[in-house]
Parts: sequence; C-alpha cells; structure tokens
Amino acid sequence: MGVGLEDSCVHCGFCLEACPTYVVTRSEVHSPRGRITAVKLDVDSQGFDTCMFCRRCELACPSGVEYARIITKVRRATPEKILMNSLLERPRLAWRVLKAGKSLNSGLIQRVRLSLRDPQEPLEYREESPEVILFPGCLTSLAYRRTVENALKFLKAKGLRVSVLNGCCGLAHRSEGQVERAQELVRRLTNVKGGTLVSLSSNCTAHMRESGVQVLDFSEYVLGLLGQERVELSLTVHDPCHANMIGLGKATREVLRKLGVNLVEMEEPSFECGAGGGYFLFHPQIAENVMELKAEKIRRSGTNLVVSTNPSCSLVLSFKGFQVVHLADLLAQTVTKSLE
Amino acid sequence: MRLEEHLRKIVGEPWVISGKERKLYAYDGFTAVEGDPELVVLPGNEEEAVKVIRLLLERGVKFIVRGSGTSLSGATVPVGGEVIVGLSRLNRVYSLEGYEMEVGPGIANVMVTKNAPPHLFYAPDPSSYVVSSIGGNISHDSGGVHVVKYGTTFNSVISLRVVLSNGEVEDLSYGPFLSALPIFVGSEGTLGIILRVRLRLYPRPKTRRSLFAVFPDVRSAGEAVVGIFKRGVIPSALEMMDRNSIKVVEMSRYRAGIPDVGALLLIELDGDEEEVEEQEEIVNGVLTDTGGARLSVADEGKVWNARKGAFPAMGVISPAYLTLDCNVPRRALPEVLEEVSRIAKRRGVFIANVFHAGDGNLHPLIPYDPSSPESLFRAIQASNEIVKEALRVGGVPSGEHGIGIEKVKFMGLYHGEAEMRVMRRIKDSFDPRGLMNPCKLLGGCEPKTEVTRWLWEWD
Repeated sequence: MGVGLEDSCVHCGFCLEACPTYVVTRSEVHSPRGRITAVKLDVDSQGFDTCMFCRRCELACPSGVEYARIITKVRRATPEKILMNSLLERPRLAWRVLKAGKSLNSGLIQRVRLSLRDPQEPLEYREESPEVILFPGCLTSLAYRRTVENALKFLKAKGLRVSVLNGCCGLAHRSEGQVERAQELVRRLTNVKGGTLVSLSSNCTAHMRESGVQVLDFSEYVLGLLGQERVELSLTVHDPCHANMIGLGKATREVLRKLGVNLVEMEEPSFECGAGGGYFLFHPQIAENVMELKAEKIRRSGTNLVVSTNPSCSLVLSFKGFQVVHLADLLAQTVTKSLE
Repeated sequence: MRLEEHLRKIVGEPWVISGKERKLYAYDGFTAVEGDPELVVLPGNEEEAVKVIRLLLERGVKFIVRGSGTSLSGATVPVGGEVIVGLSRLNRVYSLEGYEMEVGPGIANVMVTKNAPPHLFYAPDPSSYVVSSIGGNISHDSGGVHVVKYGTTFNSVISLRVVLSNGEVEDLSYGPFLSALPIFVGSEGTLGIILRVRLRLYPRPKTRRSLFAVFPDVRSAGEAVVGIFKRGVIPSALEMMDRNSIKVVEMSRYRAGIPDVGALLLIELDGDEEEVEEQEEIVNGVLTDTGGARLSVADEGKVWNARKGAFPAMGVISPAYLTLDCNVPRRALPEVLEEVSRIAKRRGVFIANVFHAGDGNLHPLIPYDPSSPESLFRAIQASNEIVKEALRVGGVPSGEHGIGIEKVKFMGLYHGEAEMRVMRRIKDSFDPRGLMNPCKLLGGCEPKTEVTRWLWEWD
C-alpha cells in the first residue's frame, strides 16, 4: 500500500498535538504519525477515514513530510461521499435536491439538512467584460448567499464590474481521496479568463493556489480597495486550516486593522473548527469533541463575534452559538453607511 | 473472560486496539527495532488505569506503560510482544497551588507551562516538549536546554502517585531518610506505574537574553563553554550546533539563516536586568578570548526553534537516525568532539552534533538507511565507539534519553558487575515476576533479531 512518501517520516511525534483528532482521542490510530505508520506497515486503519484533512500536521512536521499526498492516496471515498461531492460541483442542482430533500428518504440528505437548515438558491449575476470574477465556492453559494450579495455590493460600490462564478474547486474531493476528480475541477478554474479570479472561501483559495490557479482571496483583493471605511466592533478571528497553510490570516487581519476593528485574538486561531469540510456529517462524535475544544478557545477570548472566511467553519461555529461573519459582511455595512 | 474482552469492559470498546492496528504502537521515537504489541489499551482516567494494571498483574501479563511514544532510546518498544498501556488520555491538570501543579502522566510537557500562571514556568524542556508526556519525562529523567541552570526533571518532581506490582496505589514524596521517590525518576517504567505527578514551577526571571556566537571550529566553541563557567556565569541555556547540524537544519522547515560556520553557540542568560547585563559582559569577554564572534539575528525565536527541531529535521537527509546522549565533563568537550569527527571518518558515517553544551550532554546524530542493515550496523558501531570515548574521559552513557533498548550494553561497561547486581536486586524487589517493561534499562533478554543482537551484545 506504500505511496513512496511515508519513508521521510522519522516518527518523532511532533505532529501529535497539532492534530485535532489526536488531541481529542489521544490515540495513535487517529494521529498523523499513526496514519503514516499504517501506510508504512500496510495496515488498513480506521484512522485513514478519521483524518479531518486540516494539514496542521504538515506545519508541525520538522522533516517536511507531505502528509496530504500520503493520506489522499490511501483514502477511499464511500459512494455516499462521492454522491455528496458530485452534488457540490453543481451548487444549483444541490440546492434543488436539498429543497426537495425534505421529503426524500435519504439518511445523508437528512443529515445535511440538519446542518444546512436553510439552503439558499445560489446567486447568479453576470456583467459584460467583468473586472472581477467572484467565486463564492460551492458551500458558500448554498449556505451564505447573503455573504455573496454583500461581497457583490461592496465591489459594486467600488465601481467594479463583476460576474459570479458558481462551482466547486475540488478541495472536498481531494480531501476524500478523489484526487483525479479534484484535479479536473481545479483545472477548469485555471482556464478562467477575462478578469481577476477572487475567491470568497479562503480554504478554496488555498487549494486553488496550491494547484497553480491564479486566484486572489477576497481579503487580499479588497486590501487594495479600502479607503476611509470604518467598522466599530470587537471580534476575534478564526483561521481556516488550508488558508492558514498559505498564511491568508495575515491579509484577513490587515483588512480588519484598516477597518479599525478591535481584534481580540483567540488561543490557537488556526486550531481546527471541527467541520473538516463535510467530515462532521460522517464522524459526528470526533467532530463534536473538536468543535467543543475550539469553542472553549473562542470563549476564552471573551468575545462572541467571530470572523470566519470559510463556509464549513462558519456553519459549525454557528452551531456552537457564536455570531459568525465574513469580511464581506463587515464591508457591506460600510457601504450602507456611506449611502446614508 | 479473554483478556481483550475484559480490558474492553474496563475502558470501553474503542479504547482497546487489537488486530493489525495494534502495530501502530510497534515503535516510538527509536525506530531501529520494530516491536509487536499483543494489545494496546488506553484507559481514560486514573480509576480505569488502576483496574487495567491490576488485571494485567493478576493475570501475569507483561506490559509496557507508554506516554506520547517519543522515547529516543526505545524505552516503550514492545520487543517481547507485551501489552501496551497508553496513558496519553490521563492528561488532566488536577490542581495548582503556589509553585506546585498536579497533573496526569499523559499531559504534554508544554501544557504544564501553558496551564501555569503567567509569572511561573515549568523548567525541564526536552526538545520534544511540545509532545512528550510528563510521565515519560519522569521515567527518562528528561533534560532539555534549561537543565544547565534548573536541573533535569528530577529537580522538578515533588511527589508521585504510583501503582506497585502488588496492585497497591502509593503516594510517594521526598523524605529526609531512605526516600522512595527518587528511584522512580529515571526508572523507565521498570519499577511501577506513574499515575499522577506533583511538579515544581519556577518564577519566571525578570529578564531573559539570548546571545548567539559563531566559531571557526568545535574546539574553540568548546573552549568558550568551559570559559563561561570558569568566569562564574551559569547561563540558563548553553547549546552548541556544529557545521553538519547547521547544514541539516538550514535545509529544513526550521531554517533560520545560520551561516555556514564550524560551530554555533546559543546562550541564554536570565535573572534581573543588572545581573544579566553583568553576565553578558563576562560572556562577551570569553567569546573574544576564544575566537568567537557575536551573531546578530533578526528573529531569536527562529534560531532557538532551529535548535529544538534539529533532531527530526534530520528527516530531510535521512528517514532514520540514532541519537546518542552521553554526558561528558565540560572540560573534555573539545577533545571528545574532535574524536567524534575522527570516528565518523573511520566508520564512514555522517555525524551531526547538536547538544546541551552547558552540561556536557552530547547528541551525536547518526543517520542511517533503514532499508540497509549494513548502514544501521555501521551507525551502531560508530555509537559504540563514541560512548566508549565518553566513558573514557569520565562521562556517563546517557544524560537524558534513557537506556531503553538502545544502550543496555553500556550499563555493564559503566557500572561494573557489583553495581549491576545491586540494581537487578532492586528491580526484583519491586517487580519480582518481571512484568513491567521487560528487557529495558537492565536488559536481561535474549536478542531475537540481528539488530537487537548488535545493540545488546559486544562483538
């Protein structure tokens, strides 16, 4: 079963406490080192499936083990996951299925509906020769139409021509081991022409950039547009895991600084939120334990308002009772104010 | 009832690992020998742990207690098919009073300081402190960069709760007479099971200052180390990296922009502002006298992280390595380091030195190719020579990583027959049936593989 990359692991264990599933189980089976050992020793471990694919272990690894490439090679997506991912590729279709899903007798759809109580119709918006091609990301388009509208509102107020591109970047596929499909999806985005590709979901930004797509995160793009906008709020920032891998938290904080927000940092802002993409649908217990640990860290910051730039994180943080906003939601407020 | 079934009853279904998955506990931070645990059991609290241990003792089952599995001497490798009792889930902070914190053995070292009030810190900090467990630290009497001033783990343990081989739970603390506590520190799980620990915290010094100095060679850096102490300065940390280890680190995630020099000293001074000023002046004088030059760095934390990550950073050039940790008297450092490089040449191995110079605790890292037994053999031969050289100049075989399965044959060399007999008798009184962590520390097992034969027997 070896994939040829596991041999660079020296078994030091420095990854253990960085891994959310190890932290809540404290079992080698659910740790990056254990998973790599399982690949080495050809053990079909349940740990392959319990990985949240947050890749924090890669940041902790002194030997530079390419964990993501190892785990995605040995994971096998179940038919249920494959079905869910293929729906995500077509957000409009997903919306219709979910809407109809109330009456469908599918366990998976019922579970999705529990977390996504109010699926929304993805926003369609097109302009001639756009300067910005706004990519909401599949889940944002379904769960946070309001954020897409807010982003659009801000960009329009800045006098930009915008087109919205609904679709999936393939990160969900990659995390479940559907590596080829992920590559096909991301390749389509490589060929997007006629405007700056701007992503509203920061984990998607990270995945696209790592795959060679010319893309800016919404935070990076708006940095150049900010003027006198002010937002008087106290809040904390969650760093979505993949976005954190490429350091997008910097841009997010820079935007907040320019807005004059009172930023109260939480403990370990990049600690996994507990969503793991769609992980929480399949491993509810581990996910719940991770979510609770994350919630503890946020509560200790003393603020209830959390900036999250990635939709699955936003969903689970809302479950935990936090008020969650995207940068676009904050920026839209400044537009209304200036109109008044 | 079968053992496995019984264990599952105690700890719950998911916390007993059997089948092929148990192999994930086949080794720790020492990967040269692969063990084969019969079962792995992960109790979730003290009560479950006691029940598990009593059951194993009752049935006469050999077992190994394990923390985070980062031992560099293979102290938790199940070479004889033992049951692994993992205590990583016993990671609670029970209490914090004054300068003392009571914790479970599974808590990671770093979490002790994290849970301490801001004016206190836990001093022993092995480089693996972000993951290695307090239980494991105690069992190995782990050191770290701050040993030179604050002592090893030994100096920071106030009391222990242990399970003895008769199944009794005992609370041990220091007494003025024959005290039961010290013998458990560094006993590598061979005498009893640590369930709970009371640790000593130190007040954070008002000032901490880092100094970095480069040297043309290890000899002059070694002379600077001796000079610093001779002039009466006790630094809070004093580390050395040689050219090879700098090279490796600069290729890894920990690259810190350290120049290509013969040796780098990392010095930390702590205390009151005035005291630190004075110490710095003295150290500057020593550096000038010994041919060193101060290195100014943009990010001090990066250089310290480079030091702390130096072992696993070896992964960038080799997936496996041996790490020795013999201690030598400081005055012998220059001489021993030169001999180490001669040994490397003679044996045809690469050796990187990155170590706690302040307490003479060497860490020659010897990479080998795990797919080539011959390469491992050469690495073992080189380490034999290095340890012998350390003993020759008055050193000890292990300063902090423990004996485990890696260094058992050096015990006899260092202690002699009479001392070994006394230690075996102590072991026998604590564990008459030899159920706790067999083969480790005092050896006494027949090698079953070529590698264990190389490790345990002289040619």
